[in-house]
Amino acid sequence: MAAGDGVREAEVCIIGAGAAGGIMALELARRGIRVVVLESGPRHDLARRGDYSRRFVKGENPWESPLKGIDRYTTGGSVGYRLEWNRARGVGGSTLHWEGTTLRLRADDFRMRTLHGVAEDWPISYEELEPYYGKAERALGVAGTPDDPWASPRSTAFPLPPFPLSFSDGFFARACRKLDIALHHVPQARNSLPYGGRSQCHACGTCHVCPTGAKASTDLTHIPQAVATGHADVVADATVLRLEVDGSSQVRSVVYAGGDRRERRLSARLFVVAAGGVETARLLLLSASPDFPRGLANRSGLVGRYFTSHPMIDVTGRVAERVYPYRIGFSTAMSGQFAMPRDRQRRGAFLLEFLNSAGPLPGEIAPVSGAWGTALGQRVKTEFGRTLGIRIYAEQLPIAANTVTLDAGVTDYFGNPVPHITYGIGPYERAALKEAEEVAAKILATLGAEDIRSGPLGYAAHQLGTHRMGSDPAQSVVNAHLRAHDVPNLYLVGGGTFVTVSSSPPTLTIAALAIRTAEHIAEVYRGQGTIRRTHRSGVPAAGMAT
Amino acid sequence: MRAGGRSRPAVIVYSLIVTRRRILQLLIGATGSALVLLLFWRPQRLAHLVSRRFKPRLDATAPGVLSKREMQTIVAFTAVLVEGRELNTHEAGYVVEHVTDKAGKTPGYLSLYQKTAALLDRLAGAPFSSLPLEQRIGLMMRHRFTDSDVRIRECLRPWGRETLAVRALAVPDLIGGYYLSPAGWAAVGYEAFPSRCGDLTRYTSAEA
Repeated sequence: MAAGDGVREAEVCIIGAGAAGGIMALELARRGIRVVVLESGPRHDLARRGDYSRRFVKGENPWESPLKGIDRYTTGGSVGYRLEWNRARGVGGSTLHWEGTTLRLRADDFRMRTLHGVAEDWPISYEELEPYYGKAERALGVAGTPDDPWASPRSTAFPLPPFPLSFSDGFFARACRKLDIALHHVPQARNSLPYGGRSQCHACGTCHVCPTGAKASTDLTHIPQAVATGHADVVADATVLRLEVDGSSQVRSVVYAGGDRRERRLSARLFVVAAGGVETARLLLLSASPDFPRGLANRSGLVGRYFTSHPMIDVTGRVAERVYPYRIGFSTAMSGQFAMPRDRQRRGAFLLEFLNSAGPLPGEIAPVSGAWGTALGQRVKTEFGRTLGIRIYAEQLPIAANTVTLDAGVTDYFGNPVPHITYGIGPYERAALKEAEEVAAKILATLGAEDIRSGPLGYAAHQLGTHRMGSDPAQSVVNAHLRAHDVPNLYLVGGGTFVTVSSSPPTLTIAALAIRTAEHIAEVYRGQGTIRRTHRSGVPAAGMAT
Repeated sequence: MRAGGRSRPAVIVYSLIVTRRRILQLLIGATGSALVLLLFWRPQRLAHLVSRRFKPRLDATAPGVLSKREMQTIVAFTAVLVEGRELNTHEAGYVVEHVTDKAGKTPGYLSLYQKTAALLDRLAGAPFSSLPLEQRIGLMMRHRFTDSDVRIRECLRPWGRETLAVRALAVPDLIGGYYLSPAGWAAVGYEAFPSRCGDLTRYTSAEA
């Protein structure tokens, strides 16, 4: 059977089975709401991930789609944002390849306009989201300990104990003590102990592909549970091409296709788009209609605008001692000391992540060593493992010129215009990076490191802000419950809803918001008789929920 | 024109400036001056420009599969480069895996390996892999195959291009491929490494 044949309607149709979509599927299905999830990519069985892991270390991207041209895109702006390694298509979405760092945002991060006079405030506060952070941590299985002095208050304990600090963290801890910089554990959505039916981490070192399933990904943590309720179907290899509206500005159906390019249709009462910051915006723009000539839910003109990420730079230095890198694939120590700077109206916050894997690999040292034969092994052994690295994640303000638009000149596998990403950074981000580089260099210099250098400007695999939330329909695309202002039965979830991005990785916040939105949908809509297990209920009236 | 003075015929002025020889002289002069300036002010930039133009490069031939004999030659060659001894079965397997992957997936590598194998067999006067280790080492040192650091002046020579391509392209690739494999991690004392799982607590202390 081709993708989705036989599935014609649902109570709720969710587009995308990643962090937000996978979590919403479970949260709705466990409440008895009939859900169909359409996922553009394939299923990646856990059994195949040992092979994926080996391919990954050879420089291949195992998550690459088998459909030629489906991931095509074009770029512009002063920093060319690349998508190849920065998203994954498949059941699990970007949680298939994420690093697993699960920081909460801090209370100040929600009030940038009020506290610092820049950007906008979120329409919700940290206090409102806090219980959902706890739920998200339990659902994903977060290993951590509350030792970050700058973290906002939490009402629940981490469900798992933290991963101990690494051998190389010991170097950083010594330097940070001298410099009065607090170093703390990194909360991780991976199992420090067996949890949720998944194994303990086995230090496989390729977290981009976790071959054991110890790292949380929604294909393991949420989707199977959702399907097990009997209320959820997941259709893989089903790319949604557009959403169709009726005369009352409501979405009636989605049109999707598999590898055979044959169009199929699925009707539902409610639609949730959870396709990531780039594809969600693109899908809305592709769904333009006479009612929505600029794109679905885009009366504000803000769909695709304010594309935001986290600028990154690695600072490295060479030390005399061996630091034994590459024995674990994630970081175990960081500093949040600079995540809430006093002069945040002028420059962004930043995080320092102390890397457990830095410096050249044996396979990079050997060919440039000039040695051969019996001397080569000795040369590699002498050179290897003497580099310490600090990764900087900087906050970025929303910039209107950073956008996801359609490039009509280039089409994808299905013949649709591809996304065009315009991305750059401004003085706010550059000031944060400059200060962060100075702090990182100081830490390395305190350790007696030589050859301290900053790597090139990079950016995180975070695609945020393209359908941001807010109270004013003229200034935002969705409301505080992530419902589109313009389309009463359409929810847009994921990183695209972020108003500002702080310096924290976004996934835990995406998860918390998804749980909150699912609760909202279940309570408000079912409470008003719109969604029932019987599938015979009506369609929500415009303006019914807020 | 000054009053009473003699003007030169315009046509002569024109010919003085625009003859082909003059243009050629100007071009040679300008290029030479630029090179001299680069040589003294930016010698590294000049070296980069020259090596980019003249250093051997991969061609764009299609991926494919090496013959058994070609693979044997490549493994025998790599053994000398990476260990200076015969490789055991596991180690040879890492070389075969790397070469098969690269030749089968990346344009240009099949051709590079085939040319390398052909050159080595020709220089050996027999299958290179059939030579005793010492003879292989001797041949490789004689032809400087153990030196992948290609100098600019070597790039400018019109002769020895095949050898140069092996040194500049095949040697670093084969060494890098081998050291990216478990053999490379073994060299630094790691039994577990990225893609081979192990003991979770190992990362918290120095290696034994």
